Amino acid sequence: MNYAEYRDFSASVAQRHIVFYYFGYFSQHVVSAMADAVRLKLEHAETAASTRRKIFSSFVEMAQNITHYSVDSLTPIALRDNQLRQGSVCIGIEDDRYYLMSANPVAAESVEALREKLEPLRTMTLDDIKRAYRETLRTEQPEGSKGAGLGFLTVARDASAPLEFEFEPAQGTDTVIFYVKATI
Amino acid sequence: MSIQTSDDLFIPASGSSPEVDFRFGAHTLSLKGESYPENAAAFYGDIIARTRAYLAGPPDHDVTVDVALTYFNSSSTKMLFNLFAALNDAAEAGTRVVLNWYHDVDDDTILEFGAELHDEFAALEFRDVAVGG
Repeated sequence: MNYAEYRDFSASVAQRHIVFYYFGYFSQHVVSAMADAVRLKLEHAETAASTRRKIFSSFVEMAQNITHYSVDSLTPIALRDNQLRQGSVCIGIEDDRYYLMSANPVAAESVEALREKLEPLRTMTLDDIKRAYRETLRTEQPEGSKGAGLGFLTVARDASAPLEFEFEPAQGTDTVIFYVKATI
Repeated sequence: MSIQTSDDLFIPASGSSPEVDFRFGAHTLSLKGESYPENAAAFYGDIIARTRAYLAGPPDHDVTVDVALTYFNSSSTKMLFNLFAALNDAAEAGTRVVLNWYHDVDDDTILEFGAELHDEFAALEFRDVAVGG
């Protein structure tokens, strides 16, 4: 890439109203540093405090999902601490609303479970989501979860539209790219 | 005046975990900052175990809990719920436990979670403290 191409690239990022984008390995340190960067940017943009909090919360949930569940991992899959896993996350503005997107590879076997978890959230009202959140808070941690089973519910609670998601086979591998989009 | 004992639990804040200042000797427990550690179950597991051990002592003191968290992620939420369950158990067994729940005046999420704690853990003396505005 020469300077002219880099200028074009930067201009296209600005044109698309991309506030933040990262592709690479996610560790706790990386997530924490990105969270600081996102916060700075939102404060500078004079975004309303309640919107800022929702974006920040959704960002952390989506980024930590990648740290915990991406199958493109530099560290052993069973490791629970100091994980390093690859994916991407993006924050942008569309029709005057902030949105967050993330992408990471998952095992083909995980697709159905993820779909079963996410699909019902799409038709739930905010009250339904809050009720499900309160119920999940009182149940035991689901097997295989590194969180509380509350992550997607937390994002859905902060979103102003149903969560969107998509699975796309990753070429030349037995993994599937898992995309999530939340509009705040 | 606070009494320091070697059994007190102090964990300084990190970029993604709160300051934990549990002065068991003085019966004051404080959590302050942001909470989104990589492994919330491990981070809070020890804290809850230490708190349960402390609460197993005779209920001859009031316990004051100050929680001033400005953000906690979903897995921390779950562990906080477990911590308050332990405190509520002690309150039901006769220890007076005051929970001061600090939150930004316009932070609905933390306000609502506080209300949730208030409903669920009725034995705790819950005090909602709205800050700023």
